[in-house]
Amino acid sequence: MQQKVEIQPILSMNSVEVLYDNVMLAIKGVSIQVPKGKMIALLGSNGAGKSTTLKAISGLLKAERGRVSRGEIKFEDTDITEMLAQKRVEMGICHVIEGRRVFEHLTPDENLTAAAPAGMSRSDLNGEKEKIYNYFPRLAERRNSLSGYLSGGEQQMLAIGRALVTQPSLLMLDEPSLGLAPFLVAEIFGILQKINQEQGMSVLLVEQNALAALEIVSEGYLIENGRVVMNASAEALKSNSDIQEFYLGGGEGTNFHNVKHYSRRKRWLS
Amino acid sequence: MDWVFLTELAINGALTGLLYSLFAIGLVLIYKASSVPNLAQGGLTMVGAYVVLALARDVGLPLWAAIPLAAVLMFGLGFGIERVALRRLAGRPVVMILMLTLGLDIFLRGTTLAIWGGTSRSMELGVSYEPLFLGDIFISRIHLVGAGVAIGLFVAFMLIFRSRTGIKLRAIADDYMASWSVGISVERGVGLSWALASVVAVAAGVIWGEIQGVDQALSLLLLKGLAVAVLGGLDSILGAVVAGIILGVVENVGADFLDPLVGGGSRELIVAAVLILTVMIRPHGLFGHHDIERV
Ligand SMILES: Nc1ncnc2c1ncn2[C@@H]1O[C@H](COP(=O)(O)OP(=O)(O)O)[C@@H](O)[C@H]1O
Ligand SMILES: [Mg+2]
Repeated sequence: MQQKVEIQPILSMNSVEVLYDNVMLAIKGVSIQVPKGKMIALLGSNGAGKSTTLKAISGLLKAERGRVSRGEIKFEDTDITEMLAQKRVEMGICHVIEGRRVFEHLTPDENLTAAAPAGMSRSDLNGEKEKIYNYFPRLAERRNSLSGYLSGGEQQMLAIGRALVTQPSLLMLDEPSLGLAPFLVAEIFGILQKINQEQGMSVLLVEQNALAALEIVSEGYLIENGRVVMNASAEALKSNSDIQEFYLGGGEGTNFHNVKHYSRRKRWLS
Repeated sequence: MDWVFLTELAINGALTGLLYSLFAIGLVLIYKASSVPNLAQGGLTMVGAYVVLALARDVGLPLWAAIPLAAVLMFGLGFGIERVALRRLAGRPVVMILMLTLGLDIFLRGTTLAIWGGTSRSMELGVSYEPLFLGDIFISRIHLVGAGVAIGLFVAFMLIFRSRTGIKLRAIADDYMASWSVGISVERGVGLSWALASVVAVAAGVIWGEIQGVDQALSLLLLKGLAVAVLGGLDSILGAVVAGIILGVVENVGADFLDPLVGGGSRELIVAAVLILTVMIRPHGLFGHHDIERV
């Protein structure tokens, strides 16, 4: 990456190590920068440490008894390594966790309300909802049905919309394309790109579907076994022979789902 | 068949049932937040009644002031339980939280016994014991008052759960992790649920304390309350209300038929049968949420 344009990073993560249960070293010195207003992809196969990286940034590690044991994470020049998850959301970091975890027994409209920041007035919230329904017209149609009965694509849209209500300046998404038909992936990624362009929101996109992700991001990181093994522009990554062989091979967009998916669906405390 | 008598049994059963609901609403609130039936709800109810008595008799406040003040104190106690005990259990198996509530119940019973002793005290709400006659039907006034309180609380919670705070509470009930991910303070929400359940415990403690006296036996309300909550679906307030009425009617009418046959004790058998049959036939109860199978 020779032509690195120097844009102030909104997020920078330096040599971060994460331990689960004080014993399991899940990532081993990961450094990542997200430039302001850019879309960045974090690619890698199952168990590589992508979700752990996002949880370290959003503060959701704590709920899984993980912690950052080394390194630091800076958001807009503030050290957030030890900050409460709730504080980080207030600062503008929102993490769309893997598996489209919408509030199933709430309607889409209530899902959006649930995410409203503490000080948001009713009219601001309504305005925010309308904006989200404009981006995702499918959600508008089903705004008053039970979210548990939405289709997978609609639930992913709702999960993204719910994150948008928190007014993030950095949106992180964990495998939003997983299990969705290619046309839906294209639709959702198109909307992400549109929001990025219209609102200047920075995006950190975790994907196994490298082909689709590299179409919309400007730069990508490849992570393997808890380490960043490659960082280059999307163009360079697309033409890299290793990437082509391992991650873009097979012609289809989705890859390496053959490995047993590490499922963190265990609902915490439920 | 004596229809007037049967109607009287049914109406008084329904009123008693609503008093079970009054208790069970507290169980539902905590189940929604913490995914466990709160085994200390009986203890909390008893403490609620004792606190009212302490404020009324020992401090000398009038009841109309003692009851709301007790509600405020118990609200604080509910928050305190989350802060001191529950928060430390984050991420542990749910059964640990269940054991915590059991420990809390034993603690509350021990503490009240140490402070106020074992003799029963009376609430003396001043509700007349003259029965009310509806035509030929005889109705207990205190039961009518208690049923009114239960319905009032039911309506209040329906409104609360439609508010923004209430929607956040329902979100927490659905998914802790997703709640954190959008900045909802799960800890505060769980604390609020315990606080509200403790306020419900004051209401139940006052009404039941008036009916059966304030002593350790108040904590045994847990058993019927649990049966009602399970029949209603554990996480449904509407379920708790409907199930309370059903259990009350079935118990009152059924016992009248069965008692002469089995020679007493049939009330307990009916409650046991309802609880066991619900778990076996309809584990989600009448109105309980179940995990939605996703496509
Ligand atoms: N809560 C957890 N407790 C213990 N180990 C975990 C936990 N979550 C993830 N891991 C482990 O950390 C490693 C990285 O996992 P993860 O970040 O989920 O990978 P990815 O998202 O890239 O598939 C894996 O070896 C996984 O088994
Ligand atoms: Mg993952």
